[in-house]
Amino acid sequence: MEKFIELLAQMNPFDLVQVIFWGLAGAISFYFSIGNARVWTSISIGFFLIFLSQAYSINPWGHYAKLSAFHYIVGTVAIMTITHGFLEYYVFCRTFEISGNKIIVYLSVLGVLAFSGMFLVINPMPGPNIIRNFKMVENAIWVFLCVMNLEIIRKIYVAIKDSDISKGFIAFGIVFVCIFLWRGSDLYLQIFQWDQDWQDIIALMEDETSNIEEFMGRVQLSQLVGRYAGLLSGISVGGAFTYMYKLLK
Amino acid sequence: MFLLPKGSPLFENLAVSKLKLPDVLTKLSNGVFTGYASFVFQASTAILVFEAGKLVSGLVERENGKKETGFEALSALAELMVTTGSGALNVYKLSKDLTMCIHALLEGEILYKAQELKLIDIKTLLEKVKEDKMNGCLRIYTDDNAAMIFYKDGNPLGFFHDGASDIETSSTESQKIAGLPGAKIDLFSTQSADELMDTNLLEVTNIQKIWDASVALHKSEIDRTNLERQERDQKAVSLKLAELEEQVKTIVGEYVGKVGRGIVDKGISDNGGNSCLIDVDKSEQFMKGVERAAKLLVSGTNIKLMMEKLNSTLTIAKSEF
Repeated sequence: MEKFIELLAQMNPFDLVQVIFWGLAGAISFYFSIGNARVWTSISIGFFLIFLSQAYSINPWGHYAKLSAFHYIVGTVAIMTITHGFLEYYVFCRTFEISGNKIIVYLSVLGVLAFSGMFLVINPMPGPNIIRNFKMVENAIWVFLCVMNLEIIRKIYVAIKDSDISKGFIAFGIVFVCIFLWRGSDLYLQIFQWDQDWQDIIALMEDETSNIEEFMGRVQLSQLVGRYAGLLSGISVGGAFTYMYKLLK
Repeated sequence: MFLLPKGSPLFENLAVSKLKLPDVLTKLSNGVFTGYASFVFQASTAILVFEAGKLVSGLVERENGKKETGFEALSALAELMVTTGSGALNVYKLSKDLTMCIHALLEGEILYKAQELKLIDIKTLLEKVKEDKMNGCLRIYTDDNAAMIFYKDGNPLGFFHDGASDIETSSTESQKIAGLPGAKIDLFSTQSADELMDTNLLEVTNIQKIWDASVALHKSEIDRTNLERQERDQKAVSLKLAELEEQVKTIVGEYVGKVGRGIVDKGISDNGGNSCLIDVDKSEQFMKGVERAAKLLVSGTNIKLMMEKLNSTLTIAKSEF
C-alpha cells in the first residue's frame, strides 16, 4: 500500500487524472454490460479493458517487464473486443439476429488474456526495446481499428438514426475521434523514434543518434495532442456510456 | 308437370334424400310392381312407369319444361336424388291398362300436339281412335284446366282431370273443358300392354353404375366447393393477417424507427410466418423476440409502452380470428 501511495505521489498529475477518468469510464462501461443486452457486452468489456491497460502507471509492480508488456497486450485485446462488439451491433442492425450469451464473451476475453499471459511467461524477459515494440503494435492496432470503428458507427447510425439511441452512437463516434488522435499521435512519435521510450533507450547507446531536436515543434504538438486527446478519450467514454444509459432507461 | 291418377298408393311422401335409386328400382322390380313412381323435387319431377316389375318408361321434367326420357331420365333422376337435399317419393299401383296409358302419355307417339279443338273434328277423331283400336291418351286442356281420357283398344278406360285423385267414369269434366274457349288437345298412342312388356330399361342400363357416377360426381363437386371455400377462407385469413402484420410493423416502427419493420419481419420469420401473431404460444415468442431486439434500440419506458400497445393489438386480433 505504501508503495502504491508512493507511486501515486511520483505520478504526473495529468496522467493521474487520465487514469482516474479511465477508471470511471471502465466502471460505468462494466456496469452497463451487466444490465444490458448481450450485444453491448463486448463493447462494454472492451472499454473496461482500456482502463486495465492504462492502469500500468498506478501498478506498483508496473516496473516488472513482463507485467508491463501484459498491459499493452490488454490494450490490444481491448480495442479488438470493442471492434467485435460494434461489428456485432452492425450485424444486428442488418439482420436483427441476436445470438450467444454474456458468459461466453466474459470467458472468451479471459481466455485470450490468459493465453497472452502464457505467451509472455514462456518467452524471455522483454527488454525496453521489446516493450516499446509491444506498445507500438498496440498503437498501430488501435489507430487502424479506430478508423474501422468510425466507419462501422457511421453505418450503424445510418441504419438506426430514427431510434432512441442513435445519438448515443454519435457520442461513440466522438470517443473514437479522441482515441484516434490520442493513439495516432503516440504512434506518430514511435514511428519516427521521437517517443520518450526510444529517447531513454538510445541514451544508453553510443552509436545511436536522434533527430528529435530538428522536429521539436512536431514532437511537442504530438505530445500535447496525445495528452489532451487521451484525457478527453477517458472523459468521452464515461460520458458516452452515461448518455447511452440515460437513453436506454 | 301434369297430374296423374293416383290408383292405390303404396308409399307417399318418402324422403328422397334417404333413398338410393338402385335400391328403389330393385325393390319395385322384385315386387313385380305395376304402376308408377313419382319423384317430386322442388324444381323437377320424375316419373318411372313399371309394368309387372319392368321399367317401361322414365321421364324427368325440369322447371323450364325441358324433358328427358329413357337413359337420360335415369341419369338425371340419379343426379337429382344425389344433389337435391329435399324431395318426396310417391309410389302408386295402377292397373296394367292404365299403366300402359300413362306410358303413352309420357313416352308414346305424339299424334296431335297442342291442336286447337275448334280447328278439328273431334267426333271424327274419336271415331278414328275407336276404329284404329288405339291404345293411348287424349289430353284436353286450356291454360287453366286439363283432363285426360285413357283408351285401350279404342275404348275409354276412364277419365281423369286436374283436382281429381283417381280415374272417373264420367266424362262431364272432360266435356266441360272441351267446351272452353281456346281448348287444345294432345293425342298420344302406344303399343299394347303386352308389347310393352318387351321393354325393360333396367336390363339395358346399369343403374348401379349411373348411381355411383352421380354420387362420385356430386362428391367431387362438394370437394371442389369445399376446396374453393377453404381457399376463399384462407385468402380472407391471409388478408387479415397481412393487415395485422402491417399494424404490428407500424406500432414497432413508431417506437423503434424504420428498423422496427425489419425486427418484426425477423420475428415473424423465426416463428413460422405471420400466423404466429394469432397463435397463443408463438405470439408470446414473437413478442419476446421483438422486446429483446428493441432493448438494443429503445428506452425502457418506450419498450413498455410499445409492448402494451402490441399486446392489446394482438389480443384483439386473436379474439377476431
